[in-house]
Amino acid sequence: MKVHVEHLTRVEGHGDIVLNAGSGKLESVQWRVTEAPRLFESFVVGRPYHQLAQITSRICGICSIGHTLASLKATEAALGVEISTQSAMLRRLALHAENLQSHILHIGYLVAPDLFGAGSVFPLIETHPAAVHNIVKLHRISNEMSDLVCGRTTHPTNLVVGGVWKVPSEKSLIEIRQKLVDCVDTFNDVARVVLANAERLPAFSRETEYVALGSEIEYALYDGAIASTDTGRHPVDDYRSVVNEFVVPQSTAKYCRHARDSYMVGALARFNLNHDKLTPLAKQWARKFGLYPVNCNPFMNNVAQVVEFGHSLEDSIALINKMLNRGLKDEARQKITPKAGHGVGAIEVPRGILFHDYTYNDKGVCAKANCVIPTNQNHGNIQKDMEAFAPTLLDRPGREIELNLEMLVRAYDPCISCSTHCMKVRFKL
Amino acid sequence: MMPAKTMGVKIKMTIDGKEYECEPNQTVLDVAGANGIPIPTLCFNPLFASHRSGSCRMCLVEVVAGGRPGLQPSCTLPVSSGLSVSTVSKQVYRARRLAVEFLVSEHTQKCRDCPASGGCTLAKFCRDYDINGVPVCSECPNQRESCLLKRGVLCMGPITYANCNAYCTRKGYRCEGCHSTLVNEDVLRFGLAAYRDAGFRAEDILEGAEVFAHDKVSILEAVMKREGML
Ligand code: SF4
Ligand code: SF4
Repeated sequence: MKVHVEHLTRVEGHGDIVLNAGSGKLESVQWRVTEAPRLFESFVVGRPYHQLAQITSRICGICSIGHTLASLKATEAALGVEISTQSAMLRRLALHAENLQSHILHIGYLVAPDLFGAGSVFPLIETHPAAVHNIVKLHRISNEMSDLVCGRTTHPTNLVVGGVWKVPSEKSLIEIRQKLVDCVDTFNDVARVVLANAERLPAFSRETEYVALGSEIEYALYDGAIASTDTGRHPVDDYRSVVNEFVVPQSTAKYCRHARDSYMVGALARFNLNHDKLTPLAKQWARKFGLYPVNCNPFMNNVAQVVEFGHSLEDSIALINKMLNRGLKDEARQKITPKAGHGVGAIEVPRGILFHDYTYNDKGVCAKANCVIPTNQNHGNIQKDMEAFAPTLLDRPGREIELNLEMLVRAYDPCISCSTHCMKVRFKL
Repeated sequence: MMPAKTMGVKIKMTIDGKEYECEPNQTVLDVAGANGIPIPTLCFNPLFASHRSGSCRMCLVEVVAGGRPGLQPSCTLPVSSGLSVSTVSKQVYRARRLAVEFLVSEHTQKCRDCPASGGCTLAKFCRDYDINGVPVCSECPNQRESCLLKRGVLCMGPITYANCNAYCTRKGYRCEGCHSTLVNEDVLRFGLAAYRDAGFRAEDILEGAEVFAHDKVSILEAVMKREGML
């Protein structure tokens, strides 16, 4: 039997699944990344420090806020720039906005069809109108929050080296807080619908190393050290010893490995490492879904995203309260003096830990750049999961094998086009 | 191919209020062409007449009766009895103009280097639809003192294609030029004057334009030279 899923749908970018089996035995199964390389790291070289976030934000239309923040953190580390507490709070809020946008997009539009046994979200408009309506509402509020904090719904203009460009008004923050509060019930409704259909998520488990940011003070998204379920904490500056990128023939994206053959990043990794710092609403939903650490079922990444949506929602409300209580200050924009330096920025974006690493010359012009994208770090693990998962499916009809393998890839919420930027292309003249 | 028995049966449709006889397997574009009614096209090529993608949006017509009302590409719109379309309505003009505008916003218009120079359909459409592009400033509510340039912020608005309703500058953020740099020399000259008055350096303006309009920097540079800014 052969299963070949060319250009898997309902994921971002292009990837294929190829499976060969004969007389009930698996011969090979492969996750192939076929997306063309993107070369961002090459074209930021020669650009001044204040343009890097602007450019690298365009690596991804979904994680543009995360790329911007990782980029700013790397630049600020390199130039020795500190940002104010208020700016850091606004940036955390920005990151929550992205987490909300991205998770609801994935759960609501890309995964829900699998759970309801539909081919896409469109039939659900007929069969589950209330759920679709709620999903769109949550998505909309997430976008509004991003628009307020970032200046745009994607590709932020408000996040700049040294802090933020402009502090949102008290009135607008109060308004968005009210909307978020109103969303809690909507979120509970959506989570209930997902829970009612969660039995469609396959019960599969494979021991895995999980990597995410870890912090003593918060559910680490904006700040923290690198944490691994196998090896504990590592400083962000040592990221290369964690990601260990390598090239495989079937993929235009690089793969990563750390303590084992592969590791996983993303919502499930964060949950497994930092669950005790989640907000009460998030913890409550984790319990209802039966999600307990350390959970090694990659399909539960979908559930971890639901849980994190609750976290980002509740924590955004708390953050806005904190900011309003402190009183908003109209801070002057920092004057930056360019200098030579090297800096690494790490951030948790919806799909996992993201690193940007820049070297600047004395004029503040980028001399070297490296970005390690979450989906890159997951490709190896997707492959390993497939090798373990596929043999359990072989007695089923071809279409069902296909669907299950597709669901596996989709559970990782891969952002394939972002992950293929790293390839070096050598032209033979 | 149509089944043989429908061949030869003529049907009637209306274009711009006038009735025409046509074959059932024709499209509106075919009928217009056969009767000398001009409909602009870019992606349609008579050599590959069977391949019609409707993707350039230049051949849009407005269905007024006998079909789903609204704009539709005439190259893929099959004729039907009683169908009535307009090729000249205001909506049609606006939609076609927008299509050209989008196309040229991504186009360098280095006409002197282009082999099609002189015989370029796109350039003709720019003239037909009166497109030079206007800068973000034309949509921006920041007047005089609240203009970012007055506050020492290098806003790319003066040399960037409008159409976003000044999304960023309206909210007080600088325009980073994401709609790409304008290419019409007269328009650019006007924008550059705003920079000069506010005391910005040519190098910084060029650096700013590089991010989203790398391909147009040479045009900008040439205009700057002629204006004595470089
Ligand atoms: S320069 Fe910028 S802020 Fe000033 S009017 Fe033009 S778009 Fe508006
Ligand atoms: S950056 Fe883009 S969206 Fe914003 S004002 Fe400029 S052209 Fe418009």
